[in-house]
Amino acid sequence: MLTFHQAQLPNGLDIIAETNPAAQSVAIAFMVKAGARDESPEVSGVSHFLEHMMFKGTAKRSSEDVNRQFDEMGAKNNAFTSNEVTCYWAQVLPEFTEPALDLLADMMRPALRTADFDMEKKVILEEIALYLDRPSHTLFEALMADHFEKHPMANSVLGTKDSVSALARDQMKTYFDGRYGPGNMVLAVAGKADIAELTALAQKYCGHWPHVNVQRAYPAPVLQPKRRHIRDEKLKRHYIAGLCPGPSAQDDDRYAAMVLSDVLGDHEGSRLYWALVETGLADEADFSFFPHDQTGSFMVYASCDPERAQQVEGILLEELQKVVKDGLKDDEVERSKIKIATSTVLQGEQPMGRMRGLASRWIYNREYRSLEQDLEILESITTRDLQNVANKTSFAPMTITTLGPSAL
Amino acid sequence: MPEAPQTSASPSAVTTDKPQQFLHTLANGLTLVAEYIPGVRSAAMTFLVPAGAANDPSDASGAASILSDWLLRGAGNRDSRALSACLDSLGVQRGSNAEAIFSRFSASLLGKNLLEVLPIYADIVQRPMLPDDGFGPAKDLALQQLDAIEDEPAHKLSILIRQRHYDYPFGRPTTGDREQIEALTAEKLREDFRRRFTPRGAILSIAGAFEWKALRAAVEASFGPWKAPAPVSASGNPAPRGTHHVTQATNQVQIGLAYDCVPDAHPDSILVHTASSVLSGGMGARLFSEVREKQGLCYSIHAGYHSFKERAAIFGYAGTAPERAQRTLDSFLIELRRMAKGITQEELNRSQIMMKSRVIMQGESSSARAGSIASDFYHRGRTRTLDELRALIESITLDRVNNYLAANPIKNITLVTIGPSELTVARDP
Repeated sequence: MLTFHQAQLPNGLDIIAETNPAAQSVAIAFMVKAGARDESPEVSGVSHFLEHMMFKGTAKRSSEDVNRQFDEMGAKNNAFTSNEVTCYWAQVLPEFTEPALDLLADMMRPALRTADFDMEKKVILEEIALYLDRPSHTLFEALMADHFEKHPMANSVLGTKDSVSALARDQMKTYFDGRYGPGNMVLAVAGKADIAELTALAQKYCGHWPHVNVQRAYPAPVLQPKRRHIRDEKLKRHYIAGLCPGPSAQDDDRYAAMVLSDVLGDHEGSRLYWALVETGLADEADFSFFPHDQTGSFMVYASCDPERAQQVEGILLEELQKVVKDGLKDDEVERSKIKIATSTVLQGEQPMGRMRGLASRWIYNREYRSLEQDLEILESITTRDLQNVANKTSFAPMTITTLGPSAL
Repeated sequence: MPEAPQTSASPSAVTTDKPQQFLHTLANGLTLVAEYIPGVRSAAMTFLVPAGAANDPSDASGAASILSDWLLRGAGNRDSRALSACLDSLGVQRGSNAEAIFSRFSASLLGKNLLEVLPIYADIVQRPMLPDDGFGPAKDLALQQLDAIEDEPAHKLSILIRQRHYDYPFGRPTTGDREQIEALTAEKLREDFRRRFTPRGAILSIAGAFEWKALRAAVEASFGPWKAPAPVSASGNPAPRGTHHVTQATNQVQIGLAYDCVPDAHPDSILVHTASSVLSGGMGARLFSEVREKQGLCYSIHAGYHSFKERAAIFGYAGTAPERAQRTLDSFLIELRRMAKGITQEELNRSQIMMKSRVIMQGESSSARAGSIASDFYHRGRTRTLDELRALIESITLDRVNNYLAANPIKNITLVTIGPSELTVARDP
């Protein structure tokens, strides 16, 4: 039995919890509404670099203390940074709820020591190099930059070697002070927990934090779809990716868009799978929906032999146009709905499966939907709803970026 | 049929709130292992059939991998699309792939659909269509996979290090050999299917929401008639080992290393798991703390345990810039060799709580449990309960771990690197 609770501290910190007395563990997270899209060009990469620095110690804990204390609780823990949020999480056994919250909360007040900053910069530069050896990542970053251009969603999460090298500790501190506080973050908890206990603990460990007043900028994307090929003669495969607008995280169409992305691009039995993977033309073919904060995208992706580049891209785009021209079938939509419903139920059995959705919905919309509500909404989605979403975007024109060894 | 419930409680007691394990061996040799998990709606399946890369025909490396694709292109009276639509309609989240020893089929679904899904998998392994028009694409995809690996140096390294370290054929890559895949014919692969897709040595594992008697009867009905020859066994020839470098213009040097340890069924394997947790279990573990946090030499560094039934190894990985690669390797080796001096009581305490907490969290996931009891059965011929695992972890003492580490210093390291220039292994001091 999952039950939702909500509380707010006097300093404005939101606490949300979905408790499950049958759970064996509890997932605790601080999600901050700060990501690459909130960065100005001169601090590109700061959100992600800051995420690393949050593990480097506080006024009363060294970096070693932070890492060791998570291990002492047997925690599963980590953090991630996206274009839109930064999230710090730990999953622990219920008896470690207080020490885990104490530690996570203390991390949210980092020391940002210069010596640690300089050391961690080397690690970040290695992470950038690691992703340079992954063609799909290189392509994705280039595609986002081409599609969104001057819109902040074009910003790179990792930043570049140059931007990170040039970052100074004080720039990071300014960025931190402006965004990491009640008013711009949420404490989200899922699993075996008690809301009264959580609220008391949050007051004890977070009650002294100053409130921050910050507004995310929401410029309207000015999209001028274009295409670009990046040649890298070292590569063996040709990679294709395309973006077009889709519903945002606030748009009611997002549920239909999610089902549409499964019909078109799931790894098993989707339209792109049958057209490209089953036929052996491409070893990967995906279609994904990304609901961003106040904007959104559909992305199509495939990788293939370089000599099949044109054929595969042609089929990829043709499959999308078939949806607009010839429509969708009820049975394929129903199958996708069943797949998503099953996946929703399975996720609901694990605290970590619920936590991320719980936190990001609150950050974007201050909204909670129970598992049953999610299933009801999903059940109400019709083929017509999907068709309307497809017709609205029409998947054209699309920004297309390709990467491969040929000149094209 | 022989039947051995592994708990004293009656199998009908599925309404109790305690997990229960069951085991049933079919006359044809297939083993069904199951764990009932109270309070969940899901059921998960791990199905292991003894057709893996290690027993691919000697001239057809990659055969099991291509089969794992081809098998899903129609089975029983359903063609490729009908098969997929049927599984989708039952909400089955699924995967299939070839590993070294087994072909693995995994599925997660709602427990209420489980009995409808079993006959479909029975069709896949007993009555696949293996259609001519599906063979070409399946083979083409296997060749494309080989090219894709060249674009992902970290993936390429993980294949090379196993190949160099494990005795042949255990280190054979599931992705196969280009020339042999090119030479493979549909008829030859069909023959291979008939030879290797056998219930003897196969393990069907179910965890989550089910009713045992009904499950057992359904498995008997679907898989009881499965007849096939005895499985093909693989015996080892020495691996090349030593040091191997691949020159490639990568951004990071990829460092992979491996050394032997006791296999999972050995009574000392829990001590290896403990040592491995001290080395690389969490962010406070030695490798992360000493090489990344204190020296900033790399972003990614870790080591992990892998075991076959009779051989096992720790595999280590680090990726770093060419100018820091030698220092990273040197620091990595210092940490590995330091293990022989033993671990501290605090480190043991942390490892124990981490391992115990993982065991409890595993109990929340039917798919993790299905995978875990299947693996238990392969290594030990029996499954272990979460309570047994907890007791095993609690039984570890500092003396046992440190005596093991002192008696088994890390030596004969296999090293594979990919990058612009070669590295050297400093000799044992």
